Amino acid sequence: MRYFLRRAGFFLATLWAAITLNFLIPRLQPGDPAEAIVSRLGGQSQAIDPAQVEAVRKMLGSPDGNLLTQYGDYLAAIVRGDFGISYTYFPYTVTHMIGQGLPWTLILVGVTQIVSFVVGTLLGAWAAYRRNSRVDSVITLGSTFVGTLPFFWLALVLIYVFAITLNWFPSGGGYGGGSNPGWTWLFFSDAFQHSILPAVSLLIVGPIGWIIGMRNNMVQTLGEDYARLARAKGLPRRRIALTYGARIAVLPNVTGFAIALGGILGGTVLVESIFNYPGLGRMMLEAVSNRDYPLMQALFLFITVGVLIANFLADLLYGVLDPRVRREEAV
Amino acid sequence: MKRPTFLRTAVVAVATTLALVGCTGTSGTNGSGGGGTAANGLIDYLDYGDFGGGTAPQANFNPYLEATRLGGVDYVFEKLMVYDKFSCTAKPWLATGFKWNDPKTLTFTLRDGVKWNDGKPFSSKDVAFTFDLLKKNDALDTQGIWRYLAAVETPDAKTVTIKFKDPGASTFTLLTEIYVVPEHVWSQQSDPVKFVNAQNPVGTGPMKIKSFNPQQLTIERNPDYWQADKVKVQEIRFHKADAGGAVEQLKLSRGEYDTNAMFVPDIKKAFVDRNPDTNHYWYPPGGSISAYMNLTKAPFDDLAFRKAMTTAFDRDQIITKAQLGYVKAASQTGLVVPGQEKWLPQGLADEGRLGFDAAKTDSALTAAGYPKDAQGKRLGKDGKQVKFTFKVPGSYTDWVSAAQIIVQNLKALGFDVALETPNPPTYESDRAVGRYDMLFGVHGGSCNMFRNFSEPLGSDQSAPIGKKAASNFVRWNDPATDQLLDELRLATDEAKQKEAVAGLAKIMTDQVPMIPLWYGAKWFQYQTDKAVGWPDEQNPYAAPGDNVLVLTNLKPAGS
Repeated sequence: MRYFLRRAGFFLATLWAAITLNFLIPRLQPGDPAEAIVSRLGGQSQAIDPAQVEAVRKMLGSPDGNLLTQYGDYLAAIVRGDFGISYTYFPYTVTHMIGQGLPWTLILVGVTQIVSFVVGTLLGAWAAYRRNSRVDSVITLGSTFVGTLPFFWLALVLIYVFAITLNWFPSGGGYGGGSNPGWTWLFFSDAFQHSILPAVSLLIVGPIGWIIGMRNNMVQTLGEDYARLARAKGLPRRRIALTYGARIAVLPNVTGFAIALGGILGGTVLVESIFNYPGLGRMMLEAVSNRDYPLMQALFLFITVGVLIANFLADLLYGVLDPRVRREEAV
Repeated sequence: MKRPTFLRTAVVAVATTLALVGCTGTSGTNGSGGGGTAANGLIDYLDYGDFGGGTAPQANFNPYLEATRLGGVDYVFEKLMVYDKFSCTAKPWLATGFKWNDPKTLTFTLRDGVKWNDGKPFSSKDVAFTFDLLKKNDALDTQGIWRYLAAVETPDAKTVTIKFKDPGASTFTLLTEIYVVPEHVWSQQSDPVKFVNAQNPVGTGPMKIKSFNPQQLTIERNPDYWQADKVKVQEIRFHKADAGGAVEQLKLSRGEYDTNAMFVPDIKKAFVDRNPDTNHYWYPPGGSISAYMNLTKAPFDDLAFRKAMTTAFDRDQIITKAQLGYVKAASQTGLVVPGQEKWLPQGLADEGRLGFDAAKTDSALTAAGYPKDAQGKRLGKDGKQVKFTFKVPGSYTDWVSAAQIIVQNLKALGFDVALETPNPPTYESDRAVGRYDMLFGVHGGSCNMFRNFSEPLGSDQSAPIGKKAASNFVRWNDPATDQLLDELRLATDEAKQKEAVAGLAKIMTDQVPMIPLWYGAKWFQYQTDKAVGWPDEQNPYAAPGDNVLVLTNLKPAGS
């Protein structure tokens, strides 16, 4: 019990630190949201109109002021679940904007993460099971090779081949201009087509980490004494691999998976930018470049809290799965 | 033998999926072709580029929320006069004419027979309401117009009288640029600053909003428009874009846009050569990009030094290498030529463009008291090598390559120059508070001559080092300049305005407060397979962003 309480205390302390840093960091950076927004309108080769900056500043209200009162307001607003009005999408609220982007990111990245994890873990286990065979070298070398390719390059090749040259799939966006978001078959099939290229690009690189991790873990566990004993007792190879090897080797991958799910938002920036996908990753990039404090903070808070919760759950899970963890802490 | 079976199943499954998807294909997206000329002599539809609103656009047709509104507002709402921003000529629009009763009173006569797109008549009441709206909600006053106005009156339904606090000639472009909104709709709004105007926005313009989703904004022809006979386009479809991205360039070269405004490296190969008969581009010059020197520091506070430096930079190399040859060298006058050539002072060689002449700079510097020592180091008046930094935002790649050329030029002259590449916000704040030696600044290029010169040069736009300057980042404090700016601000007739502008242009050439290098380009690509009549170098009736002017000049191809 003490172990769980300690983990919970640690979780709360990091959460507070994260929220506070999340408040401070954007404010310590140089730059003025009003100027950033106006200069984005004009582009780099156009003079910034002071009157317009003034108007935008009035529109946004004054983000400056006493840092301490701002911090108080910020904490109170978080407790209320009120993240304010987005600067970039004024007068729409941050909550509204996150509601727009969240489903896209969750479905695209959530599904590909799960598929990547399952496929990667299975392939890694298979490679370890047939260690030093052709299968092993194809899987290991293949994934190492693909892993060295830059993701954006891979994605652009996919777009060039399948969208521009062959014209099979749309080159970007979450859905076409002709269909409107809603519970209609037309929209879903359209959204599905638009999701194929980004999903494929994620699925090409996604499993690599899991493959390599799983293979190495399992090769190690299969070399342990208990696996050797099992072999000496004459148990079938397959049974040794599954119950003595894979079951134990998968544990670190499970923790990694929990953390990866928590970090979905952060990992999606690149894919969403390349494919123009209407999710939260791209919105985050935009929020940062526009100094959109309210939106930025809400999104970062999402990531931080997501990773923290995932870590916390993984910790708890470890405590349940592996009694040694609890015992060591208690001593 | 399990594996082959599995493989075969997988192949069949993948092939089926691809075939299925391939059949339904990309019906949702647009392709080239299609949409020719309909029987009624109108172009069915045109595909335009991005419509703004960020990566997740939200319905927002409030014309004053410039930072977040969507592109279609330009076609829904209209202004009193419309400027052709290439030559800076005002064209009568909602107002048919204007008259200065005295330097502080301006009267507009409004056009007859104009209707809002909900059928209600347009009158001077709407204009007065619009101005009052901006007064009550200063966040909407993006032109800062109420700093100059005293009152807006409506003697009758066709007349609007504007009273200024001071003589108001210099604010003429500002007040004609204001979108007029209907009183009967906007007076119902409790908070116009938060009004997104999402449902059927009511305006007087040539187009109405037809449909919107975050991927596509469609606007359609307003049949009751006051010059509907000039609008030959039934529908315009704007497409959500990741502006300037590689994918957008591929789409442009594939012909998916009838017009777009984006940066494309090697536009000729990527776009024009695909179909030279229909694919064209025109990049007219915008504001000047100049070398800004911190005038509060030595040696930049020395006029002889600055004059010598005007020929120190290889503008041609900057233009061909860093700017891909898309723009021209800027005139030292601060004016944008050829569009603003009528403002140039008399007897100026090559429209005020200065060439690159390192030898001339070298001897001028030596003559001014900055000799080279035996090792070729350029010495300052203190006898030490002149040492300074050149700042450029690291992420503006074309600016960085231009800065590299500049640093090369300076090093060849014996200066000890370091290139610094901060991120854009740091760059901007350093520039504003004067924490720099040398860097790039942008100025001018608008149709308001007063602003073009007062923003970079007016002493009221400056501030002491360490304090944020509004726009005079070089810290030019000169009574003669302020005097000329004052004359320009007050002059109602063009001859007087020209005199003042010529005086300011002369200060630019004689006193060198900054060194203009090249003009920012206005990106503009278009295709002539469906529509003709786009502005170009031979017929520059408008600048690329003058949307209603372009729209009212488009005609079906082959007509």
